[in-house]
Amino acid sequence: MGMLSWLRETGAILAKEWRSESRTRVALSTVLLFATTTLFVVSIAVGPIGGAPLVKPIMPVLLWIILLFATSAGLPRTFVHEEEVQTADALRLAGAPTAIFAGKCLYNLALVAVLEALVTPLFFGLLGVEVERPLELMTILLAGGVGLAVGSTLIAAIVAQAQVRGTLFAVLAFPILLPLLKLAVDGSVAAVLGEPASATLTLTFLYDGVLIVAGAMLFPLIWNP
Amino acid sequence: METELIFTDIYRSFGRLRVLRGLSGAARGGELLLVTGRNGSGKSTLLRCLAGLMRPQRGEIHCRVNGRALDAAERRRAVGFLSPELELYGELTTLENLEFFATLRAVPDGRERGRALLERLGLPTERPARALSSGMRQRLRLAWALLHRPQVLLFDEPMQNLDQPGRSDVKALLGEHLEAGGLAVVANPDRLDLPKVDGHVELAA
Repeated sequence: MGMLSWLRETGAILAKEWRSESRTRVALSTVLLFATTTLFVVSIAVGPIGGAPLVKPIMPVLLWIILLFATSAGLPRTFVHEEEVQTADALRLAGAPTAIFAGKCLYNLALVAVLEALVTPLFFGLLGVEVERPLELMTILLAGGVGLAVGSTLIAAIVAQAQVRGTLFAVLAFPILLPLLKLAVDGSVAAVLGEPASATLTLTFLYDGVLIVAGAMLFPLIWNP
Repeated sequence: METELIFTDIYRSFGRLRVLRGLSGAARGGELLLVTGRNGSGKSTLLRCLAGLMRPQRGEIHCRVNGRALDAAERRRAVGFLSPELELYGELTTLENLEFFATLRAVPDGRERGRALLERLGLPTERPARALSSGMRQRLRLAWALLHRPQVLLFDEPMQNLDQPGRSDVKALLGEHLEAGGLAVVANPDRLDLPKVDGHVELAA
């Protein structure tokens, strides 16, 4: 398969996902509702902390917990829904597995990007936390977001093939997403406190690369019989 | 150009339930192979194996299209598969569904081809797939299966939910496909009144 036709397929899958989402709004509303609810619970419970030095490093941890749980609520739908409504076979027969994986990853990345763009400023605004290095925070949010999207897409593909899906996402997410979240939290803490985070950033992007390569190699085996 | 589908000694079971036991058959270009059997006899399982959607535990499937042997991945993308268990996207319109799959299958005139098939099968172009009746959904599946002009058709209970004009459309399209040199495997509980039947496999329950 040529690169052009692969790109065309990937683009078609991404466009189809957005078109479906724009008509049903299930994933986006689930993710955003979950995120805003937890965000307001945190802000009411903790309140504005300003520059309190002891509490400030904990704030990025809370942010990533909100992002992780919000994405866990919406992103696994990508493949599970295809199996539940019996459209997976049509997709399996028509599309190249790596293009399907890439298209779904890009769609999930777009969801994560929307989530981060809405939640992050609200979070730091409501809690009154001043970010010392906003550019580095944005970069770590990008790197962490890519990892969350790719990792969740891969886990969702595995979960969709299972007979019992209930807790499988959480079980699989633990080993796959834990290293990523540790790096993302470390990088975010450094950015908030104004410390250098370039080494953590590099490691996070490297972990993204590992997830992308592993996903592209494993997905055809998971997706096809 | 040679088009053929040969399956030999196919075995497939689900746990202790043995569904397919040493099944063999073949069809060549211009031929129709009819597979009959009672409910649960394994017709759908056989067609899923032939389409590459399920791997047989034993046996071989050889598919050749226009003289070229296809592996399982190529077979999946080459066949025209019709099954009551296959659905298209309910939130997309009929034409949007066909356009999307035409892009995936690299059909050069996808939009025109989709529109022509919908018109031929009497389906609206702008109605969401979820708003179609069960008979219309079957017609849409038929349009989807024919979209990429496949040489190999695998039809599982093609007449399901169809009215008399719908059944006539299926027979006419099958006839045209065979005349053009394609092959078809049709599975159904009973013998159907098909344009021609060149081979018959009866599955034991």
